[in-house]
Amino acid sequence: MSDILTFIVFILLAGLAIGSALAMVAQRNPLYSAISLIGVFGALAGLYLTLAAPFIAAVQIIVYAGAIMVLVVFVIMLLNVEEEVRRPVRLRYLVPTAVLLAAVLFAEAAFILFYVNDAPAPPSPLATAEPSTTGLTASIGTGLFTTYLLPFEITSILILMALVGAMTLARRTAARPQDLVVPGAQVLPLQMVEPARVGDDTPVRSDTTAEAARTLGLNEQEQTRE
Amino acid sequence: MANLLALFAPPNVINELLQRLSLSPETINYVVWPFIQIGAVVTAIALWALYATYMERKISAFMQARLGPMRVGPWGLLQPIADAIKLLTKEDLRPDKADPYIFFFAPFISVAAAFIVFAVMPFGPDWGVITDINIGLLFVLSVSSVGVLALILAGWSSNSKYALLGGLRSSAQMISYEVSMGLALIGALMFARTLSLSGIVQAQGLDSIWYIFYQPLGLVIFLVSGIAENNRAPFDLPEAESELVAGFHTEYSGMRWSLFFMAEYAAMIVVSAMATTLYLGGWYFPFLWRIDHAGYHSLFVLLSLVVFIAKMVVLLYIYFWLRWTFPRYRYDQLMDLGWKWMLPAALLNIALTAFAVFTVQALDGWHGLKTIESLTRGVNLTWQGKVIMVAFGIAGLFIAAAMLSAINWRSRDFNLKKQRRQVRLVSPPQGQPAVAPAPSES
Repeated sequence: MSDILTFIVFILLAGLAIGSALAMVAQRNPLYSAISLIGVFGALAGLYLTLAAPFIAAVQIIVYAGAIMVLVVFVIMLLNVEEEVRRPVRLRYLVPTAVLLAAVLFAEAAFILFYVNDAPAPPSPLATAEPSTTGLTASIGTGLFTTYLLPFEITSILILMALVGAMTLARRTAARPQDLVVPGAQVLPLQMVEPARVGDDTPVRSDTTAEAARTLGLNEQEQTRE
Repeated sequence: MANLLALFAPPNVINELLQRLSLSPETINYVVWPFIQIGAVVTAIALWALYATYMERKISAFMQARLGPMRVGPWGLLQPIADAIKLLTKEDLRPDKADPYIFFFAPFISVAAAFIVFAVMPFGPDWGVITDINIGLLFVLSVSSVGVLALILAGWSSNSKYALLGGLRSSAQMISYEVSMGLALIGALMFARTLSLSGIVQAQGLDSIWYIFYQPLGLVIFLVSGIAENNRAPFDLPEAESELVAGFHTEYSGMRWSLFFMAEYAAMIVVSAMATTLYLGGWYFPFLWRIDHAGYHSLFVLLSLVVFIAKMVVLLYIYFWLRWTFPRYRYDQLMDLGWKWMLPAALLNIALTAFAVFTVQALDGWHGLKTIESLTRGVNLTWQGKVIMVAFGIAGLFIAAAMLSAINWRSRDFNLKKQRRQVRLVSPPQGQPAVAPAPSES
């Protein structure tokens, strides 16, 4: 009874995963593709659950469906990607390559299907007395912080590097006047004159409009535009 | 009175009734009971969403020395029902250029994500909880992280600039605050040592303490991030009415709009229930177990439900309180609060809690001091251990304040006086020649 139920759940989830994956590739609208991809992730999380790995299932949803897909949708919206128009295929040699790669993939799947029966059977979970703890949060945590501590830390340093890189690229320089100089003499905070001195309020005096513009490093054309 | 109490004597009132209907115990446990519980929870939350509007209008009215709704029914008590009828009978508009499918489905995603979470919420012991899974906390976080998508999709599919801006803002805001929200929970988890929500409540019961005493900093971070996650004032930029009309749900009307509305109020309950579970001891209340031991199990469960709801209502009141007393943050202030204040504080909380737990364990047996009772089901401390842990918790507040002001001492985001730009004109003839100092000087 429970075997049949497990099988039905597996078929449903696998069908959803494959269907969503096909929809993702076939869709012309990038946002629809993104939503289909979320369907794939959800179905995969369900499959993890049937394999008694609840922690991985939850993390799959949090990280992929929650965080990464939200960012993907965010970027799609921000760039306002238009629906892809059907255009003549220019790179014709890609078609046979795709067919070849698909054939390799199917051969791989067929190989697994036919030869997996020859491998020695894993110990049945019903045969052992106590239930397996492999997929549970506690066992994953123990493994992550003892056996696999070094890979774990290296991964976090890798992510930290990406973070620092992004921050360096996006670092805001000091607020500078866009294209306007207040006419006449004025007192400006140093941070407007020198972009490197963020947050410095030391007053810098300039006597005339031209001098203020020169101090701020604006050229003549920008200055005259009102 | 004795007859009334006798009603609660069997372990489960409704179970008895069902067994008289000659249903097998399996059917009752796995089919009938879950449906009763789900129905009760969904009805309660829908009613809450209705009456929360009444509560909010009344509270705001009293804060502003007004009366609030008074016309429909006594003290305006039937006003929410009139509102609901109005919403149900309103025309369901769809903009011409809107994406038909996503526009149709976005409210349902939103409401489903908000409601599914209640499956694991520990409203009470025994039959007070629908199901208890061992990744309960992660389940809540994962489902609510998917809920963001509904707002983004609604904003995008409306094909309107206000809705799009609201959707973009909500996604950026929710991603930012999700980080510190998740990190704030880790401190409490170090004491509970389980991800099951019922397990967290039981750990607090066994230790006879609410984790708010161990984790005051964690609760503050969690509540602030939670309010920001819900897009409630003062973090309601995605639906800021003064600039974006209504944000992501500008183009929605009638029932579709009220689904978003219901999801928002359900999400408020989720955050309050999570805070209650993790920091306020859940349904646990001192000396309530004596009723259970006296043989009135059902009464015990009912009273526990009342305790849980009472704690939750206090937190929900904080939502209304903040909404009607705080001005809305500017967008850059919102981002700075998330990344420069909440995130460092959450990280500090993890480090401090780890240090505190380590210290208390190390002090056990030092000069005859006994701090730990047992570590098998959560951290159980003796009164000496509790004193040390509470001292660490309170010290954490001050350490966090010191660290945050050290990090942000040059920040001008919340200092309106410093945000004034110093541009003033001086009379030209008397001025000194401009000398821009080289960067190396001073």
